[in-house]
Amino acid sequence: MTFRQARYDEPFIKDLQSRTTFEMLSEDYDDSIVPATMRNASPNVPEIPEYDVVRHFTRLSQMNYSVDTGFYPLGSCTMKFNPKYADKIASMPLFSEIHPLRPEWSVQGTLQVMFELQEYLKEISDMDEVTLQPLAGAQGELTGVLVIRKYFELRGELSKRREIVVPDSAHGTNPASAAMGGFEVVEIPSNDEGLVDLDALRYAVTDRTAALMITNPNTLGIFDHNILEIAEIVHSKGALLYYDGANLNAILGITSPGLMGFDVVHFNLHKTFATPHGGGGPGAAPVAVRRNLADLIPGPIVRKGESGYYLDNRNSKLGKIASFYGSFGVLLRAWSYIKRNGSDDLKMNSYRAVLNANYLAKKISSDVRISHPGLKKHEVVASSEESGRRALDIAKFIIDAGMHAPTVYFPLIVKEALMIEPTETVTKKDMDDFANLIHEAVSLSPEELRALPVNTASGRLDDVKAAKELILKR
Amino acid sequence: MLDYDSSMLDYLGIKGYEELFSDIPAKVRKKSLDFEPHCSEYKLIRDATMLSESNRFDGFSNFLGCGVYDRIIPSSVDSIVSRSEFLTSYTPYQAEISQGMLQSLFEYQSLISDLLGMDAANSSMYDGPTALGEAARMAVRVNDGKTILIPDNIYRNKRSILTNYCSGLNVVFREYSFDMKTGMLDLNDLESKMGSDVAAVIVENPNSYGIIDEKVSKVKQAIGDSLLISYVDPISLGVLKTPASYGSDIAVAEGQQLGIHQNYGGPYLGVFTFRKELARKSPGRIIGETTDASGRRGYVMTLQTREQHIRREKATSNICTNQALMGIAALAYLATVGPSGLRKVALATMHQSARLKHMLSGNRKINPSPFSGTSFSDVPVLLDSDEESLESLLKAGKIFGGIKLDRIIENRYDLLKKAFFFSVTEKTEDSDLAKLVNALEVI
Repeated sequence: MTFRQARYDEPFIKDLQSRTTFEMLSEDYDDSIVPATMRNASPNVPEIPEYDVVRHFTRLSQMNYSVDTGFYPLGSCTMKFNPKYADKIASMPLFSEIHPLRPEWSVQGTLQVMFELQEYLKEISDMDEVTLQPLAGAQGELTGVLVIRKYFELRGELSKRREIVVPDSAHGTNPASAAMGGFEVVEIPSNDEGLVDLDALRYAVTDRTAALMITNPNTLGIFDHNILEIAEIVHSKGALLYYDGANLNAILGITSPGLMGFDVVHFNLHKTFATPHGGGGPGAAPVAVRRNLADLIPGPIVRKGESGYYLDNRNSKLGKIASFYGSFGVLLRAWSYIKRNGSDDLKMNSYRAVLNANYLAKKISSDVRISHPGLKKHEVVASSEESGRRALDIAKFIIDAGMHAPTVYFPLIVKEALMIEPTETVTKKDMDDFANLIHEAVSLSPEELRALPVNTASGRLDDVKAAKELILKR
Repeated sequence: MLDYDSSMLDYLGIKGYEELFSDIPAKVRKKSLDFEPHCSEYKLIRDATMLSESNRFDGFSNFLGCGVYDRIIPSSVDSIVSRSEFLTSYTPYQAEISQGMLQSLFEYQSLISDLLGMDAANSSMYDGPTALGEAARMAVRVNDGKTILIPDNIYRNKRSILTNYCSGLNVVFREYSFDMKTGMLDLNDLESKMGSDVAAVIVENPNSYGIIDEKVSKVKQAIGDSLLISYVDPISLGVLKTPASYGSDIAVAEGQQLGIHQNYGGPYLGVFTFRKELARKSPGRIIGETTDASGRRGYVMTLQTREQHIRREKATSNICTNQALMGIAALAYLATVGPSGLRKVALATMHQSARLKHMLSGNRKINPSPFSGTSFSDVPVLLDSDEESLESLLKAGKIFGGIKLDRIIENRYDLLKKAFFFSVTEKTEDSDLAKLVNALEVI
């Protein structure tokens, strides 16, 4: 392997302290204008020349792996290529320099983008109304949970419907969002196929249930073919069905949450719609609902009227979940992606994402056990348990060879889990190289693996020490 | 179909793409996506450019603010956050290959907590108001009470977000009032609302009237063991005392002003800082310093046992994806601008708001100074007009601004029934102010 990540002894930013070169304001003002009781002589910020700031972050960036660096098969995160046209459009000043309180007549271009995105998302999901406001997947979930809460509150059933049911394979955000919305979480086991156990579901869903939160395909990459029965079980008890849209990339254009019987859906625009993940955000997670829930979702909604586009500040019964209308900079990128790909290529992307996941599953199946047999959708989950190698150690071997590792130890129901999502924007060679790395990893001894990584900017880091010493700033 | 697609299908023993979806029942199969097919990149960019042109209003002066401000952004900030390695990476789960992001976020935590004077910060929340919502939730985890005192002039959107964030906790919000002479919080009223059930008191500085609230420094001693949560304007800290100096236990802010474009409402940055003893009760991702196998300094995500992927329904919050890239923008901004620059920006803003008040005071039909307190960016101006006529008057005068106070604040006071906000920044020029004075002359 020839991979070597940049490894600078990069100083801590405050150690670059010398002088500032910021001179965009020429005038010096005296501070007698500041009330004496509140006056502070100088803010506690370091003074650094601009050229040192830029060099510092350039060097740091070289110690960071990204989608633009290479294959990034982080399961459940849909790390597909982020097209550059979207960056270009999002940085157009006539989009980026607009204050959110500008009057509607002065932001028609912006409102049209938002309106069209709403329409696209409704068509993709077969739902009736959508809010663009939520700022990330987890916030989309919280929004959905609060919509469900408000729905039962208005029906006078909230005191009774205290529970939200989630499968044991669910993303951690599902139970966390349900709990944040004030519900008790009831977890149900998956069956041998990795699907919702229908008997367990029938037992768990009662007149105390507010909702079932699931993702389909699930976190094992398997499409739950019982989905209509699941919907029937949930709806027959008067509960609602929530769709975690994290795994939408596999099925866009092929099926939809609406057709599957869901009532509330969130979309992760930073996954399915290729907006850059920014090292951990920003994301965006519009939420779509059926007509009977339409007046509960946060507003405003963009409408098209006779004299142009406008913000419908209808009195949402839920109010707001974030300050304005959503992360417009992210919404705009997603709009660009949908326009560029269109109805034909969006579906082709799903085909190819699924083809890749199945190809990769078979490629690695002789070295690690695939969690469940059968067709995969967007991702595949494997276990390294039988190989005698820890998933964490395999991950460190992969990053040491210059690729990003899969998600490890998730879903929780698979021991030594490696969760691998190739997406559609990789070549067969990327996947062959990855499969070879898995093969090499399980051929090394556990001791050899534990010594890795050595080619990355840092050697194996001590998590325990970090949590014990708790140095959170310098 | 690409060659290697068909070779992969062969490898799988599958005839075509459709066979990959044989597990999806026919009943739920989607017949078609009912919108236009793909277009070229050239056409997309051309169409997007044309759309953006309909937002063009050259020659307009901007007096919009109220939480989001048009500030100078050094070019280095955009350059740094456009680096592919930051832009297209994700949460640094694999720390050894993500040290660039981790060190940057650790530096963000360091500089932002220093700016607010606080012990520690997390690596970001979605925006200011959601950070406030998380702060309220955290206060209820720390303290037993279920009541939170809030200013009665808090923005409607913040109030709504607070309510929604706390709706699962049975929290009661009780309001304290404001002194209509100074525009500052009424300490007597606040004290009268205190009780053992109060988990936390929320103060804002500058407050929702844009006034530098000198009373905030008296609040901590009035509230005993209840937590003090401060919502501050980070730019104002170029000249104002830190929230730590007046005893804040948790201090949050909207970080948009720190190098982030207005973007019609987002993405922005939720700044979240706290006393270190509270770290284990805090929400969100936190980066910690450690060492690697050979003893070299390095960084990892830490205290993950508070988080949803491990604790699930017992997590301190459901947040995972946050605003990491915006945190780097704020870090790059603070590093580039430095203490002297930040001070200049804050002072220039204050001088321009004072000038605005002074210049408008020549018009006898307008009262630009209903309060004796000092304004920071936002100036509520009393004038005798309805919203629509003012908007058309300002449109004719090529001015964005004049947000009616009760559009964004649930107003409790007669004095402010006819208040409209005009906001300034360091970019506001004297010519802009003159234009505003002229436009309002016909009122």
